[in-house]
Amino acid sequence: MRTQLALFVALLTFVGVALTYVVVLGLLHR
Amino acid sequence: MRRLLRDNGLVLFFATIFLLALLGQAVAGFHAFNDDQVAGGAAPVSWTTYLTSSDLGTDVAENWQSEYLQFALYILATVHLVQRGSPESKPVGEEGIESEQDQRIGAHAGHDSPAAARASGPRLWWYSNSLGLTMGVIFFGSWTAQAVAGHAAYNAQQLLDFQDPLGFGEYLAGPDFWDRTLQNWQSEFLAILSMALLSIYLRQRGSPESKPVGASHSATGVEG
Repeated sequence: MRTQLALFVALLTFVGVALTYVVVLGLLHR
Repeated sequence: MRRLLRDNGLVLFFATIFLLALLGQAVAGFHAFNDDQVAGGAAPVSWTTYLTSSDLGTDVAENWQSEYLQFALYILATVHLVQRGSPESKPVGEEGIESEQDQRIGAHAGHDSPAAARASGPRLWWYSNSLGLTMGVIFFGSWTAQAVAGHAAYNAQQLLDFQDPLGFGEYLAGPDFWDRTLQNWQSEFLAILSMALLSIYLRQRGSPESKPVGASHSATGVEG
């Protein structure tokens, strides 16, 4: 189940980083 | 390698088409954005400028929030509500959070149960609700990202049109934010409704999302 755990962590990391990127850019462009 | 691909085919397939669709959205969005720029009398922007603008972020986040809302609501609503005949529903009469025995928690946990299922108090509560909570947190995070990026993108367009920019509160109370939000919500709610209802009478052989082809229309909570 190590591959599945790696995919699980990768998804949450990707979504977290992407949303942080969008929020930071939005705040910078206000 | 072949085993890795086979064991994770569902996730890898959707990850691949997700990235391709996101790339396609960025390319199409870039051209649409520059068409608007030129029509508004402004110079076209570079690829880098578009990728670091709030336009792409708003368009992505508004779709993400509605998808995660869809799953969060579906996960939570199916705890307490049932639909006779649907494979997406628990059998009628089993509404609610079910017994510790049914859920294999506390003293009823098996040797292969996650450690948190053997715990009690807040740790057990958190783990018992972790799927819905995580979907809910990503929903609110995406909705916040849509609001912040949408505000920035809206004001950039206002300035291009020689209009006054809006404050954040004014933007949240205004039509652009709610048009973007509700146009996505309505389609997600229709999709859930359609899945719950169509799967009563229609079948997809081999799919766990469908009842077996020969299952009766009245069978509820039976997956193929």
